[in-house]
Amino acid sequence: MSKEHPIELFMPPNMLKAKVGGSIGGLDMAAIKRAEAAVETLKSDFAGWVGDDVERLSACRDRFAKKQDAAARDDLFRAGHDIKGQATTFEFPLVARVASSLCKLMDAVTAPGDVPLHLVDAHVSAIRIIFRDGIKDSSNRMAIELAEELEARVVETCELAA
Amino acid sequence: MSGYRFDRLKILVVDDSAHMRKLVTTILQAFGIIQIYEAGEGDRAWTVLRDANPDVVILDWMMEGMSGLDLVKLIRTSAQTPNPFVPVIMLTGYTHIDRVRQARDAGVNEFLAKPVSVKAILSRLISVIEHPRPFVRTKSYFGPCRRRRGADEYRGPERRVTADIAAVG
Repeated sequence: MSKEHPIELFMPPNMLKAKVGGSIGGLDMAAIKRAEAAVETLKSDFAGWVGDDVERLSACRDRFAKKQDAAARDDLFRAGHDIKGQATTFEFPLVARVASSLCKLMDAVTAPGDVPLHLVDAHVSAIRIIFRDGIKDSSNRMAIELAEELEARVVETCELAA
Repeated sequence: MSGYRFDRLKILVVDDSAHMRKLVTTILQAFGIIQIYEAGEGDRAWTVLRDANPDVVILDWMMEGMSGLDLVKLIRTSAQTPNPFVPVIMLTGYTHIDRVRQARDAGVNEFLAKPVSVKAILSRLISVIEHPRPFVRTKSYFGPCRRRRGADEYRGPERRVTADIAAVG
């Protein structure tokens, strides 16, 4: 393969290092402990934050059920994606897992009219139930079975959509 | 903090989730960072970025309106950017390898998959301070070198247009 375009490669001055100084010494455990303690103070808010996200997901689901257009689909996907990304951080890992399954479904079936609403509803219901029951344990048998069942349905749907 | 003067840093945190912004800013404050700017969407972030000229940007991918990816491209290539070299740490729920490649191709320095952890944030921060990447300018890309190691030794043909997957690690 011939070289079609020149590549300019250069190292900008490390202004960040000049600003903060310091030296590599591994992770500062005192800073980590301080930050983890700060996060602990937020933990009493976590369930409320996940609750907000679950309500937002439900509202997006309702709008999507009324009108299956691209805007409603994108809103629903974003709401699910936020839960997928955040719920584990906020101590609801199985809520995140089901939201991940919902995102996988919506990633595979992109046309709004083709998204199977019954499967969306099943995911939203599962998320609501896991949250309502305060299931934070990632080994909760009932919630895992629910997640596995939904994931299997999504795989089937994705295979059909492919 | 290994002697780091984090109190001198200006960091912009961009995430459409107020909860995630709260968590990340709390962690950064505990590291000693005082000057933290926040934005809940891409357009606002672009305004804040031009006003504040932060030293590091921590950025969510998926946001309504301008996405995190679009914002990175703007930071790297716009004539109005205050600093095209500013380190960008992308914080996202996307974990698939194709998404990581997309982030790299947009000019992201570090990729931080949710769920968030204190150690992961600190390690990415130290990485952009201690291990900055060389920058590359080609016909189709401007940003940090997407090969994590040995880029300055590369003398082979340009393959960036077709596939550049070596630098996702």
